[in-house]
Parts: sequence; C-alpha cells; structure tokens
Amino acid sequence: MNGDRGPLPAIAERASVMADAFEPLFWYITFWTAAGFLLVCALLAWCCVAYRRKPGQISTPRILGSHRLELFWTVTPLLIFLTFYVWGVYVYDKAVHPPADAPEVFVIGKQWMWKAQYPNGQRVIIGGNPKNMTEEDRQNIGALVLPLNRPVKVTFISEDVIHDFGVPAFRQKIDVIPGRYVSTWYQPTKLGEFHVFCDQYCGAWHSLMVGKITVVPADEFDKFLEGKGGLQGSPNPVDGSLAHRGWQHFQRLQCQSCHMPNAGAGTKVHPRAPSLEGVFGRQVPLRGGGTVTADEQYIRDSIVNPRKHVVEGWEPIMPGNYGSQVTEDELAEVVAYIKWLRPGTQLAPNDRAVPPDGAPRVTPPPPVSTGGKQ
Amino acid sequence: MSIVVADTPRTAPPPPEPVAPARNYLNETSGFWSWLLTVDHKRIGILYLVSITLFFVVGGIAAGLVRTNLLTPNGAILTEDQYNKAFTAHGVVMLFLFLIPSIPAVFGNFLVPIMIGAKDLAFPKLNLASWYVFMIGAAFMVWGLLSGGIDTGWTLYPPYSSRYSHASVTPGVFGVFITGFSSIMTGLNIMVTVHKMRAPGMTWGRLPLFIWAMYATSFIQLLGTPVVAITLVLLMVERVAGVGIFDPAIGGDPVLYQHLFWFYSHPAVYIMIVPGMGVVSEVLTCFSRKNIFGYKAVAWSSVGIAVVGFLVWAHHMFVAGISYYSALLFSFLTMLVAVPSAIKVFNWVATLYRGSITFQAPMMYTLAFLVLFTVGGVTGLFLATMGTDIHLHDTYFVVAHFHFVMVGGMVLAYLAGIHFWWPKMTGRMYSDFWSRTSATVIFVGFFLTFVPQFILGYHGMPRRYPNYPEEFQVYNVLSTAGASILGVGYLMPAVYLTLSLFFGPKAQANPWSATGLEWQVPSPPTVFNFEYLPVTVCGPYEYAIGVDQLGRGLPEPPGSGDDNPAAKVGPTLLPGPLPKETEVVG
Repeated sequence: MNGDRGPLPAIAERASVMADAFEPLFWYITFWTAAGFLLVCALLAWCCVAYRRKPGQISTPRILGSHRLELFWTVTPLLIFLTFYVWGVYVYDKAVHPPADAPEVFVIGKQWMWKAQYPNGQRVIIGGNPKNMTEEDRQNIGALVLPLNRPVKVTFISEDVIHDFGVPAFRQKIDVIPGRYVSTWYQPTKLGEFHVFCDQYCGAWHSLMVGKITVVPADEFDKFLEGKGGLQGSPNPVDGSLAHRGWQHFQRLQCQSCHMPNAGAGTKVHPRAPSLEGVFGRQVPLRGGGTVTADEQYIRDSIVNPRKHVVEGWEPIMPGNYGSQVTEDELAEVVAYIKWLRPGTQLAPNDRAVPPDGAPRVTPPPPVSTGGKQ
Repeated sequence: MSIVVADTPRTAPPPPEPVAPARNYLNETSGFWSWLLTVDHKRIGILYLVSITLFFVVGGIAAGLVRTNLLTPNGAILTEDQYNKAFTAHGVVMLFLFLIPSIPAVFGNFLVPIMIGAKDLAFPKLNLASWYVFMIGAAFMVWGLLSGGIDTGWTLYPPYSSRYSHASVTPGVFGVFITGFSSIMTGLNIMVTVHKMRAPGMTWGRLPLFIWAMYATSFIQLLGTPVVAITLVLLMVERVAGVGIFDPAIGGDPVLYQHLFWFYSHPAVYIMIVPGMGVVSEVLTCFSRKNIFGYKAVAWSSVGIAVVGFLVWAHHMFVAGISYYSALLFSFLTMLVAVPSAIKVFNWVATLYRGSITFQAPMMYTLAFLVLFTVGGVTGLFLATMGTDIHLHDTYFVVAHFHFVMVGGMVLAYLAGIHFWWPKMTGRMYSDFWSRTSATVIFVGFFLTFVPQFILGYHGMPRRYPNYPEEFQVYNVLSTAGASILGVGYLMPAVYLTLSLFFGPKAQANPWSATGLEWQVPSPPTVFNFEYLPVTVCGPYEYAIGVDQLGRGLPEPPGSGDDNPAAKVGPTLLPGPLPKETEVVG
C-alpha cells in the first residue's frame, strides 16, 4: 500500500479494472441492504414506542395477517435480490474470463510460499515464510511484477494443499488447487505495491503466506522481462533471465575474486581489479590517456582480450584465456549480467550465493509439522 | 392493504392457579442414576442443557484466546500453531457441540412433547441414547483437542486435513462423526413425535410455530447428517489408510470434499437458525399480546428454508474452481433462500403492530435477535452475489456475517428461549433487572465485536490469520474490546440464573400469561406432563381474545401496571363459542 500504514480509507484502495467493477456493485448492495435494515429498525422502534403497554389497557386487535402485504414483502425483496444477482453475474463473468490476447504468468503455491514464472522463463518468489525456504528461494523473494493498464492472465496451481491467491486491491481471489490449473486475470490501474494474501487456510504458517504485487509502467515491465532492473524487489537478477544465467557463469569463473564489489577507501579489502557495479554506460579512463564508453562491445572485448583496454590505475593481470572457457552464448549472458549490475547489488566473494545450474542444490528443510513462532 | 381487525374482548376466565404439585419431574426421584438413566424427555433436555453450557464455556475460552491474540499484528500471546488450534477448537466446539444441539436438543426435547400435549417423545430410550452418543462423540473431540489439538479449521478441508496435518485430526473427526448420530436420533424422534403424538385437536394448523420450526429442523437433520457422516468417513479412510479420495496426489479430488461437506454444512446452519426463529415467534407474540402475523407464511417459510437450503451449498465455492454455469445456478438459488428469511422478519415486525408490548428479558433478547439477524441476513446477500463474493470470500466479512447469524441470531434466540422457559424448566424466577441488563450488554458488546470485522473484511483481511498488516490493528483492537463486553454479558446470565435456582421466587404455572400448552401445566411440570388429556380448541396465539390453546382465559400478564386499579378489573366473561379462526383474515 505504497508504504502508507495510516488508517484505512473509507473506500478501500482500488488498483485494477475488477476493483472498479466491484465497488459500484458493492455500494449498490450496501444501499439497498442498509435501507432494508434501517426500515426494519425504524418499524421496530416505532412499534416498541407506540405500542408499549399502557397502564390498564391490554386489549389488542386480532390481526391474523394479510396476503396482499405478505405478497408485497415477498416479491419486492426478491426483485431487489435479483438485481444483485444479475449485476453480480456481470462482474463475475468479467473476472473469470481473461482476454484472449493477455500474456500468461504461472503462479505456483506451496506451503508456505508463492512462486511466479514469466513467459520467458523468469522466476520470482512472490512471498511466503522465509523459514520454510531454501537459501536460493530466500534470495529470490521479491514481488509479482505486473504492467500498468495491460491485462495479464495468471494461471495457478498448488504443489500440496489448497491455497487461495487473494489481492484485496484488485478485489479478486481464486482458490489454488493441487492437481488442477485455474486461471484469472488482472489489469492493474494504479502504480504501487499491493498485498497478496493466502485466503484459504493451509496450515501452520498460513498467515505468513503473504506476498507483494508491484505494478510498474508497461515499458518498465518489458525491460523487466528482459532481465534488467531489480523491479521484482530482490537484490539478484531475475531468476531465469539472461542476466541470471550470466551471474552463474560469473561465479563459476570466479570473476568476483578479483572484481570485488566496491570496497571503498579505508577498508581492508584490496581488490585486484576494478569493480564492475554500474560500469555499463560509463566513460572508462584508459591507461595512456583517453576514455572509452563501456558498451556491450567493450565488455566482451575486456573478457576475451583483457589487454585491449587497460583501465587507468590497474595492472593488466587478468588472464587472457577466458575467451576459450565460455561459448559465445554464455558470453552474451555474462555481458547481460554486467549490464545489469548496479552499485550495491554484487555479492561479496564469500557471501552465500546461488549455486550455478547443475550444481547440487541445498535440500529444502523437511516440512515442519508443528509450527512455532516464526 | 386492508387488514381486517376485530377488537375482541376477552371471552373466558383464567383458570385458577394450579396448586404446585408436591412431586414434579425434578424431585420425583433423586440420585445420580435417576438422572443418568432417565427416559424423561425433560430430564434429558436438562442433561443436554448442562452439557452444552459446559461446551459453550470451552468454546468461549478458545474465542477469548483468539481475540486476545489478535490485539497485535504479530500475535499477542500465541504461536501460529497454537492460534490455529485455538480457532479450530472454537469452531468445532461451538458448532458441533453447542449450536447444532442447542435448541433442538434442549428445548426440542423439553418442550416439543408438552407443546403438542404428549407425555413424552415417541422413543424415550432413543432419546437417552442420543445424549450418550453425543457425550461419547464429545469425548472423542475433547480427546482430539487435548492430545495435540486440531489445526485444520472446522471445515476440515483436504488434502490438508487428510494428508498434511500432523495434529490430532482423526479423533476429532471421529467425534464429529459420532455426534452426527445423536443429531439424527433427536431429529427422528421429534419428527415422529410431531406426526404421531399430537393431542386431540392439535391439528397442523394449530401447532405452535416453534413446533413447525423444530419439524423443519428435524427434516434437515435426518436428510443432511448422513451425508456429512459418510464424508467424514471418507476423510478418515484417506487419512488413516491412504486411499486416494480427496488428495489429487493419490488420485482424489479436493473439490469433491467441499461439495459433500457443504451439502450438509450449509443446511446445518439452518439446523442452527431455524429453531431460533421458532423461539422468536413464541416470544414476540406473547410479549406483544398479538396473534402472529401470517401464521401460514411463517410456518411454511421454515419448511421452505429447509427444502431450498439443500440446494444452495455451492455458494461456498464460487472461487473454489467450480464451473461457471454451476456458479450461476447456485447464486440464483441462494437469492431464493434469502426470501423466506425476509418474509419472517417482516411478519415478526408486523406482529408488533398495534400490540401491547412489554420488555421483559425474553422480549429484550428477541428484539436484539431481530436487529442482529437482519444484519446477518442482509450481509449474506453480499456473499450470495458472485461479483462481490469474489473479493469478500474467506475474509473477515464472512466471519462477521456468520457470527451475526449464528451468535446475533441463534445464541440470542437461545438465550431468549432460556429466559422464556426458565420458570417452566426450573420453577423459579430470575432477576428482572439483571436479565434485562445482560440483554443490553450482550447487544452492545456484540455490535462492537463484529461490526469492525465487516470493515476488516471489506479491506481484505483474511480469516484465520494470526499475523496481519499493521493497518488492520485498530479494528482488531475494537473487536477484541467488544468481545470483552460480550464476555461480561454472557457471564451475567450464568450468575443470576444460577442464583435464581436457590433464591429465586417460585414461578407460577403461567408467569408470562402465554397461550401454549406448556404453560397450562405446573412449573416445573410433573413427570408425565399432563394430569388429563389436553384437548386443543384453537390456534396457538389467541392473545387478542385472551384464551390459551385449551380455550381457557389467560391470567393477567406481567408488567401491565399492577398499581393501576383499572388493570385489576377482571376480564369480561362472554358466553358462547369461540369466534372462528377464519373470521378475521387479511
């Protein structure tokens, strides 16, 4: 809710076309039901005051009923209820039928986390209880990123028990069932961060199976799909993106043992090579004068032929054989990672990091049967 | 809109106050076994009353834990696991051990035979067996709750409950299964009794509306409970034997469980509320000195709810993966089932019209019922409408709606019934002041507890969440404050009703000047209820004429201005037959 933790507004935050469809119906029903309730209360109060027992007088008329009146208050509520029904069907119909051309995102629920997969293979943990996650998942906790004013179809499935993916700001909710795909769609109308709740009780940490949706402008969403930017909220490149694969090569080749994160003056860390954070697009001063713009070509050249451009202030000690250790495909991925690296996003050499593809994974902790304080 | 009105003077003298017999059902025999082996429907009603009061306290303590824990966004006193067990204990105990047996087993047992002029229920020993079966089932449930607790929620959705939960689900489910048979036995007994044992003249059209409500309830108990029983058996088969029924990982279908479960559990909420509606019809007419407005409409709406109530179960599943077209159908049918409740409310209000209303405790509770049940009913429409349910489903909006109907409706109707029939059951009167005060306190506390939950639900706070975002805290604190007031309100009847057993003034046979047959026998009744064969001569609510169902006059009602000499003028005796019931119609 945009970090705003103030009192709840009278009308809950609306952030999707479904929320805009929900609100008029909700207040329409509220109007009629409040009117009916106040009518009953007023009649009760009037009867209780006007016909309270007066001293010495307890004779009452023998009224057995009135078919006409009864018919009136049978048919009138029924007609009003049917307007709720028809309007409700209209809104529901809209909610359960995604537009045909909407791109599709998969969301997988499990005890107790939500995982999202984008069309080009990117993978993000939307949220959950960090205590139940592997180290890898913990580092990928982010948000479900959705584009502003563009429909996205979301297909859900559960790995274990029944969950429910509820987004109050979108006024939508869908049970996430094991063994069955169910779909809904969202078209956000407001930028910002919104709550995701698991609404179907799913065990010990049901209440921690919460996450975030981040709505961004459509062009930023497109960039996000390309793996640029940290929109998903975690400090790592988006799992499954080019940059993410490049990151794994970066670690496999031990690049970070020389290209450390920005150490800064006064620390005891003495890197042997310049930091690569934020290098893309900068003017790099070269030994012997002159500068070069750090574009894709510059980065590729510096990997396969380190002596081509030697940065001012550094010794040319980088081995020249990296070009033979990576294929051209992999090189493109490393370049994508270095493009992605922003100041403060590179892990220190001995930080726990994501193991590269194919490496033995950390086995997830066994499901915990009896909960405790998280 | 013509309402034909007849200002009819009283026609018959009140019967003399019967001399309280030395021996009644309470002191006829004494000792431990005289209670545990009794086949007297009244004593069995009392056994149920004591048992379910105990379970109400247990469920209430669990509710207190839940509300206290929700004071802070990350849980004030409990771990997540303890919280899950607390709300499950609250739900399971309150629903299966309090609400379902409350009015059918206590007042149904105690009153149905007397109200229709019978000596006992049709099957007295089956009746006693039902209590034992209930207690055995309750023992299993308590075992489940004490041996590790149940953490599934009262709805027990698989595959969580069948394959994932490590808590004591099996004994708990087995307990629910067993108590179901107790419910079936009570329903069968009441249904047969109403069919076969009515006193001469007690035609279907002269049955008190409480009997109609109990009859409709029995219908649901008989047809619905076997379905939940077999569902729970299937659940246990999957949990214990690993046979794939509901878990898709071993070939089952989790949505099938929801269909089966709600096929019983939606009608089950009508098992809970319809008897309450019966109580309300009795109390409202008595304290407004009026005939019920539209006897047939009120009676048949109970039956209508019982029948249509079986056809709406999937409205719990609009977002649970059912097909689009079945959702359309079930939403429509749900709109239909809302209509009988609306009819009842309007008929009750119309009953008060031109009445002579007094506000003793049963009436106070009933008026509170009318207000709270109306809120509960209309908020159900938000959930029956598919477009709004898609957001409000599984939020606190549902919790608040459900509690408005079940607590604001059913528990208040139950308390109204307790206060109405307490003199008949115990032979004692309770404090007028304190009983009215408690009704007021409960009403205020209830509103404060559950109105904030509607707001929370509208903003999307999910149910069963011990951890919640900070912006929801204010309303949770308000709700807990209301629950504290509500708790005090519940304690008050416990105290003054208990005190009345020892210090309360002796009750007359007909302290409220009511018309039903149960008021024409001494308080407390003798073992076989009637010393003579009661011959019913008229309908149940002839307050305007001032005759009971035996055609005798009514004593002076309480609160009619005893200090006013004019009120002491006795009723006028008019010779001749009673006016025909069809004389005055709308």
